[in-house]
Amino acid sequence: MSDPTLAQQHLVKVHTTTHETVVTTHNHNQTPSINASGEKKKIVGVFYKGNEYAKLNPNFVGCVEGALGIREWLESQGHQYIVTDDKEGPDSELEKHIPDAHVIISTPFHPAYVTAERIKKAKNLELLLTAGIGSDHVDLKAAAAAGLTVAEVTGSNVVSVAEDELMRILILMRNFLPGYHQAVNGEWNVAGIAHRAYDLEGKTVGTVGAGRIGKLLLQRLKPFSCNLLYFDRLRIDPELEKEIGAKFEEDLDAMLPKCDVIVINTPLTEQTRGLFDKNRIAKCKKGVLIVNNARGAIADTQAIADACSSGHVAGYSGDVWFPQPAPKDHPWRYMPNHAMTPHISGTTIDAQLRYAAGVKDMLDRHFKGEDFPEQNYIVKEGQLASQYR
Amino acid sequence: MSDPTLAQPHLVEVHTTLETVVTTHNHNHRPSINASGEKKKIVGVFYKGNEYAKLNPNFVGCVEGALGIREWLESQGHQYIVTDDKEGPDSELEKHIPDAHVIISTPFHPAYVTAERIKKAQKLELLLTAGIGSDHVDLKAAAAAGLTVAEVTGSNVVSVAEDELMRILILMRNFLPGYHQAVKGEWNVAGIAHRAYDLEGKTVGTVGAGRIGKLLLQRLKPFNCNLLYFDRLRIDPELEKEIGAKFEEDLDAMLPKCDVIVINTPLTEQTRGLFDKNRIAKCKKGVLIVNNARGAIADTQAIADACSSGHVAGYSGDVWFPQPAPKDHPWRYMPNHAMTPHISGTTIDAQLRYAAGVKDMLDRHFKGEDFPEQNYIVKEGQLASQYR
Repeated sequence: MSDPTLAQQHLVKVHTTTHETVVTTHNHNQTPSINASGEKKKIVGVFYKGNEYAKLNPNFVGCVEGALGIREWLESQGHQYIVTDDKEGPDSELEKHIPDAHVIISTPFHPAYVTAERIKKAKNLELLLTAGIGSDHVDLKAAAAAGLTVAEVTGSNVVSVAEDELMRILILMRNFLPGYHQAVNGEWNVAGIAHRAYDLEGKTVGTVGAGRIGKLLLQRLKPFSCNLLYFDRLRIDPELEKEIGAKFEEDLDAMLPKCDVIVINTPLTEQTRGLFDKNRIAKCKKGVLIVNNARGAIADTQAIADACSSGHVAGYSGDVWFPQPAPKDHPWRYMPNHAMTPHISGTTIDAQLRYAAGVKDMLDRHFKGEDFPEQNYIVKEGQLASQYR
Repeated sequence: MSDPTLAQPHLVEVHTTLETVVTTHNHNHRPSINASGEKKKIVGVFYKGNEYAKLNPNFVGCVEGALGIREWLESQGHQYIVTDDKEGPDSELEKHIPDAHVIISTPFHPAYVTAERIKKAQKLELLLTAGIGSDHVDLKAAAAAGLTVAEVTGSNVVSVAEDELMRILILMRNFLPGYHQAVKGEWNVAGIAHRAYDLEGKTVGTVGAGRIGKLLLQRLKPFNCNLLYFDRLRIDPELEKEIGAKFEEDLDAMLPKCDVIVINTPLTEQTRGLFDKNRIAKCKKGVLIVNNARGAIADTQAIADACSSGHVAGYSGDVWFPQPAPKDHPWRYMPNHAMTPHISGTTIDAQLRYAAGVKDMLDRHFKGEDFPEQNYIVKEGQLASQYR
């Protein structure tokens, strides 16, 4: 795919230690300018490292090296932009900057956990931005209590995640991976694949949650001629329900046993943590397929591993884990019939370009004292949005 | 998934050699004569289910499941020979060619019906494909011999269209490098994300827009792509508008526009080797190619070379040449492939449909009735127009 070229950052100096890479530049050719509001801010971005991949794609802005493509813009306004991937523990690079950072930007793909303890240390902190969607790496109650604003780029990766969910439904239903394994292992045993391969057509698919991602998923599922069910606190507009052909299920535990495929599309909250535990999984259909690109902790780690081993769950696929990054020995890496990946669905190149643009827009508004798009707020000056209470 | 249970054939005797032949004898009564009074020898060539055959009662596409039609055939006095041994002069299939009346095969384990075999087949009347795609048959030789060749049109078109869309997403979103990291204990988001894209907004072109191609385009519509298609026949304008697909009259004008190319044409003399070195070179650098049509439409080495150079950023399909793919087939080992054995059209749901279709055509054949017109590839020596 050909890509438009973004302006490249002017790389002057790289500080390398054993633990991490910090990329910073100095505008030696001019006196740092003062932005319109007259205040110089310290912006901290926490992203995963791109390493050798950073140079391969100029649109790869979601990594430390690409830094959302906003470094020149920030520094031209006199702000300081610190970017790191080192975010864990008291000696991390992130920890050094918490006391005086004004803004912390993070992504769900390499989240900076903003705990109550860190918030207490953060004397200058005003704003927490998620480059992407999903701010559950932030202690939202502590953020609200501290009068902070927490915002994300609503809509930036909903298409990405919906596409990825549908991909995983097909991978599990059609039994792609055993076929792929045979191809690379020099084998040819059609029966070993076909005996548990099905068409998606005619199957019952239920989404737990029908917010933006869930709705986009249902729209993409429509031409596959499935039986579509959804559970949510809010009912979809009847017109859209009819257009998609999705049926509302008021009772989650009544919906789940009907489903050949269950897709998790709810935020991680106190109510949804561990929602898919041993008991609830046992009530699902034997041979159920589960797709989870929402949050790993919505599913009990060991309960899922056990159900995959017993075959009660015929397949589990997602890109979210708990903890995250997933440790080398995370049980989901090794359980039967999984189709997991690291947390990547919302950080395709296209998603990165959208969330980088959204972050830049909100920083600009923040500097000018303007409001953000309303749907972007998770916490607005200490007030927690209703769907997170 | 819960499955309805099909009646199991009554297994009396198994002859085991290098392969498995399953047959039964109705010792309890004299073989009955079917309505037309003729006893036919039906030969089915399928892949072996082995230990998997028992795991799913709906698994009818294998030797053991034998399309679920054994009891029905034998109750009418016909002989039903089922084997997977189909290659070479000493194969089980070869033993039955001289006196078989009907040969049933599938594209997943095809019995190659060559001119030489047709010449030996003194009693052969009918060649049935359990599934879609009869290019394992020398159609001209079949026509010259006055045979009928038919397949279960429509039986797996949904299956293949779904599988094509799955592969488009797997390549576009870079699923496999992510999966490899998961199982190896790694976590390197950059190694995946730097070449992962959304499907939204991309240009997808299908080479061929028959039944499978149309079903694919319909499923692609809500992904908001730029959809192009090339075919000899233009789609109905109403459907074109509904799907949002644009007709491309010139294949070589369409291909360089495409981020994704999907091959959806039969294998014919014209399409063999269609994707050769020169045509691939004209495609967009980083193009993704999906081929669940026929392996030989793409030149094996040209594809392997283009994947190695990166001109083709990914190739995925379930069709190979030859098939079964030998252990050393280059496509197994080239970079950025997402291949599988030939399985897309033999999901359980597809098997149930094509088994029902084969049974229907056998029934009509025994009664001297015509088949559904769209099922004919060759009708009593006449080759259907799309295969000329």
